[in-house]
Amino acid sequence: MSGIFEYNGGSIVGMKGKNCIAMACDRRFGQQMSTITTNYQKVFKIQDNILLALSGLNSDIHTFYALMEKEINLYNLKENRKMKPTTFANLVASSLYERRFGPFFVTPIVAGLENGKPILATYDSIGCKSDLDDFQVGGTGGNYIYGACEAFFKPDMSPEELEEVIGQSLVSGCDRDSLSGWGGVVYVLTEQKLTVKILKTKQT
Amino acid sequence: MIDFDPSTFGLAHTYQKEDKDEINTLALPSAPQVIYKTLNGPTQINGGNKLTNFKHGTTTLGFVFKEGILLAVDSRASMGSFLSSEQVRKVIEINEYLLGTMAGGAADCQYWLAYLANHCRTYELKNGSKLSVAAASKFLQGILIGYRNSGLSMGCMIAGTDTTGQHLYYIDNDGMRLKGDIFSVGSGSTYAYGVLDNHYRYDLSLNEAVELGIRAIYHATHRDTASGGVVRVYHIHKDGWTKVHDGIDVVDLHYQFAKQKGLVGDGDEAKQRLF
Repeated sequence: MSGIFEYNGGSIVGMKGKNCIAMACDRRFGQQMSTITTNYQKVFKIQDNILLALSGLNSDIHTFYALMEKEINLYNLKENRKMKPTTFANLVASSLYERRFGPFFVTPIVAGLENGKPILATYDSIGCKSDLDDFQVGGTGGNYIYGACEAFFKPDMSPEELEEVIGQSLVSGCDRDSLSGWGGVVYVLTEQKLTVKILKTKQT
Repeated sequence: MIDFDPSTFGLAHTYQKEDKDEINTLALPSAPQVIYKTLNGPTQINGGNKLTNFKHGTTTLGFVFKEGILLAVDSRASMGSFLSSEQVRKVIEINEYLLGTMAGGAADCQYWLAYLANHCRTYELKNGSKLSVAAASKFLQGILIGYRNSGLSMGCMIAGTDTTGQHLYYIDNDGMRLKGDIFSVGSGSTYAYGVLDNHYRYDLSLNEAVELGIRAIYHATHRDTASGGVVRVYHIHKDGWTKVHDGIDVVDLHYQFAKQKGLVGDGDEAKQRLF
């Protein structure tokens, strides 16, 4: 398996609904063809209304997340207020571009709710932001998840429907990718709460 | 006119001797060539440069015990990281008393094991008795040595019964032929060996052996990404072979074994951070 993005494997997907957003990821941490653990965290809660999902090299997933944690904590201390999701989306892009000639090998997805309006942004590894789509994927199983998303997705779904659709898309997609899977986690964020569900998937 | 220069013979090169005085010669490597041979990988010259060998993405195993031979295989076929099938049949039924397992190139294994079947039947008709497992495996080895270095990819086990009992042989595309009691072939073989070596005993009962084969394949499918799908189990005994299990889903096995360990999946038992 050549390619630094395929070394650890893993897949993520984000979707917008009606006043809600959902994020899903697989749980595998592997080294090429060998699976090391099946509970690796790939989605991070940056703030009550912002989720950051990362796929790619696991080492950089952890490092980039730690960098974003630091940035948001400093922002909270300096500005004495919460960061808006659109601002965070921009911060991710510029932080990635800061490493233009020695990039983080990650493909992030940012999802959040700004005044009830869903925000979803995805990037390449050097910070090109794309925030116009209703769903986005990342990781080695990304292309397979695209297929399932296109089939199941419709705009303005309720949180329950969104959870169902994103779960199914992730599982169907990961079933065709040998480097992703071993469990799935679905996060659905609404104005009131964040629900987290662990999915029972193929463990192979 | 083609001439073989003795100094380049080992490299399997031929070159034309020019009619002119100057002769094109090939520079020989100054260091001695070291040839590494491993059970499950390709023969590597001077250390090789492959990290993994995807052509053998599978897990197959076989072992001899008091009730005969047990073969267990997975059913996944992958092209790189893409899963092309989860329903492949990796045990090839050569005839009623011989089985072959498939690892490596599917086409190569299917074709040459069918060719072997043809040869076995012809022998039986000509000689009035069945071909022994040793002879059948040796015949296949002969073919594969002839095709050495031409790119065939096969890591198969020939298992069968004859007048001298039940025998298990490992054959691969380099022309290796090994008789043994326990073999596992493929990218998941290391995981399968771990389970197999720990619980193998010659005096296993049939049920215990089937359990062991299933467990070993399951563990390999869980850890190895190139193995998965379903477990197929065959038993070879003095009257031929029996298909014990046609396809047990390894995902079902996972949750079954997890339940046996007391992990019921009502939360994240290790209490890891989720967000």
